[in-house]
Amino acid sequence: MSVVRKVVREIEKRKALTAILLMLFIMVFFDTRFYTAYNLLDMLNSAAILEMLAFGVTLVIICGGCDFSIGAMMSLSGIITIKLMDHMPLGFAICAAIACGALAGFVNGFFVVKQKTEPFIITLGMGMLLKGIAQQITDAHPVPAKNLTFMKIANGKVLFGIPNLIIIMVVMLLVFYYILRYTSFGRNCYAVGGDYNVATQSGIRAERIKWSAFVICGAMAAFCGVLLSSRLNTGSSIYGDSTALSVNCGCVVGGTSFAGGVGGVPQSFIGLLAIQLLENCMNMLGISAYVQQVCEGIIILLILWFDNYAQKRKEEAV
Amino acid sequence: MGRELSDRILSVEHVSKSFPGVKALDDVSLEVGRGVVHGIVGENGAGKSTLMKILSGVYTKDSGTVEFDGQRVERTTPMESLRRGLSIIYQEFSLISSMTVGENIFLGRFREAGGMKGTHQKAGELLGQIGSSISTHKLVSELSTSEKQMVEIAKALSFESKLIIMDEPSSSLTEEELAKLGALIRQMREKGISILYISHKLDEIFEYCDVVTIMRDGHVIDTRPVSELDRGEMVGMMVGRTIENEYPERPRAVGEPLMRVEHLTTGKLKDISFTLNRGEILGFVGLVGAGRTEIVRAIYGADKVKRKEVRIEGKSLKITSPRDGKRCGMALVPEDRKQQGLVLPFSVESNISMANLEKVKRGIFLSPDKERKMAEENIDSLLIKTPSPTAAIVNLSGGNQQKCIIARWLETEPKIFIMDEPTRGIDVGAKYEIYMLMKKAVEAGSSIILISSELPEVLHMSNRVLTIADGRITGEFDPEKVSAQEIMNRAIG
Repeated sequence: MSVVRKVVREIEKRKALTAILLMLFIMVFFDTRFYTAYNLLDMLNSAAILEMLAFGVTLVIICGGCDFSIGAMMSLSGIITIKLMDHMPLGFAICAAIACGALAGFVNGFFVVKQKTEPFIITLGMGMLLKGIAQQITDAHPVPAKNLTFMKIANGKVLFGIPNLIIIMVVMLLVFYYILRYTSFGRNCYAVGGDYNVATQSGIRAERIKWSAFVICGAMAAFCGVLLSSRLNTGSSIYGDSTALSVNCGCVVGGTSFAGGVGGVPQSFIGLLAIQLLENCMNMLGISAYVQQVCEGIIILLILWFDNYAQKRKEEAV
Repeated sequence: MGRELSDRILSVEHVSKSFPGVKALDDVSLEVGRGVVHGIVGENGAGKSTLMKILSGVYTKDSGTVEFDGQRVERTTPMESLRRGLSIIYQEFSLISSMTVGENIFLGRFREAGGMKGTHQKAGELLGQIGSSISTHKLVSELSTSEKQMVEIAKALSFESKLIIMDEPSSSLTEEELAKLGALIRQMREKGISILYISHKLDEIFEYCDVVTIMRDGHVIDTRPVSELDRGEMVGMMVGRTIENEYPERPRAVGEPLMRVEHLTTGKLKDISFTLNRGEILGFVGLVGAGRTEIVRAIYGADKVKRKEVRIEGKSLKITSPRDGKRCGMALVPEDRKQQGLVLPFSVESNISMANLEKVKRGIFLSPDKERKMAEENIDSLLIKTPSPTAAIVNLSGGNQQKCIIARWLETEPKIFIMDEPTRGIDVGAKYEIYMLMKKAVEAGSSIILISSELPEVLHMSNRVLTIADGRITGEFDPEKVSAQEIMNRAIG
């Protein structure tokens, strides 16, 4: 009895991880190319960029916000990099793109922190704006990159044959994990999201902390945009149309609550991985794209429902 | 005891309830007679709130029986309990502040009450019955605490309640409002309504209650007519030991002037000037809403001001944010623990360290070891009862939560410690410990500004008392020389 209960409680706590294990288990019984090193590595490789977006977003969500402008930011920054690349050294172009991301995050942060606007609406609006700019610059056509070095950033394998993207992701995971867990900035993020007033009264510069989180998130989104366009060797204004939704969703599925003050980068990592894995499994099983969307939607809703259910039970226990 | 069944409105027998890791109620039995004001006292964590929530249907009991008005009650919901005639008035009111008084009273019963017109008419009648003249069209957000309480009582009456449970009804009332509440309780008793009165304030128990049940650690210790008990005995049963004094001896460590506040003016405050001395406990007395909290918040930099001059140790300081306040050596223990004091998702240790992250760093990174050590030292020295430093703060009792907030600020080594209602909703034992902490702090050279609605507390602890009414300082007293009556007169303005 108590063992069962313990298992149930553990599952409740780690829903996303449970979902991953369940999918891995189910896939054993199907004869697909799922369990091949190629597929698994490829999946991780394509998940890497979304994962990195999620790290930045996690920071914002922990501070009690959310960011839905990351998808458009990502696409715009890729375009900026490719356009600038012809006129200046590659490094400068990348830095300029990341600076644009930080600027967009800064504006998001200004509205959220100074004007006390709902972050959902503001970042959604910012997303539209950025997408508009991207379309205007490119006339809605894809822009190809003509630089081999640039292409190698995301497609190369510098270390032991492991794709660069995966290495960059792991490094970023560690960096964000350390920031959130072992710096006062990270801790203050949790405090600001947990209770803004209490944080302010305790002498924490709550405004600055939350604002910085948005800036970091924007810069991270731009960085991911650089990687994406490097990977695909093109920039396009249609990239990232649904990215923002799935990334924010993945964070919440992993256990970083929109209420703020709880969660972490590892949780978001797992949450987003679950979504990516689900997609991959369904691809392998040959399920049609439309049905896939339905399934994904249902599963996300289910996980969130369980989440709220557990939350309610916990509240009763308090 | 030979009573007939119908004399009892409520009987609880052998009820137990466990939460993960805690046995909140252990074989609790209780009987409440009709038309009786029945007090329940006990320290925080004694199980009073759990019992109440089982009665109202928020929690389900693990075992035992509950009988209300002759009927066995098994599973129930808050709404069902209300319809059965059992109302609860929580310490934190359950009113919707964006709706009007009338709508709140008949919340969820719009149709029954006869639409908007019937709602306001009936609500008006109910309020009239309890001698209140609040307009039913007013928004709840515009009401004062005692008015909100009136609305809650009117709501309870609207269900023709046979039993009303009041949880710490007086915790934010002033003396005058309290007298009104007392009259109301007597009036309801005359109508045959039973009242379960839960309070930390023993004076009120003695004044209003016929019978009192003492609880400790999830058990009922004793139930007796109030007339058979004296104060010391009751406190002894509550804490399991006898407390000789409710207050420690008044600290005497007053030194030279430390802080001078001049011309403090905001929308509400009018030209406040006063001096705080080193090692002094300065009490602020006034009605709720007189501006006591506003004064300290303004000094600390939490609120905007029109004009303010603050000098500490002769140096003129610009304090425009809590961060400035903290840097100038101030600490603020706010009046509302849950809303302003605690970060609820945090653990005990993070709540303590959050204002002191600089102290738990090793290089640029936080050191979990140092943080743990800081928490453990405070848990030991402040006698905080917690399973571990990493326990969630929400699982602690009110008194222990308050100690965590005090610990957070003690770690900043403040020169000026501002305490706004530091003992609200805290049991006698923990109160005494907090008084001792205050005493230790001033003896170590800090100064304290103490705000409290409990007059005896201010009078026993302070070296000097300022009365505040309507945003002005109306008097300065030495609490050892002047009677409580005189001070209160001045505070009423």
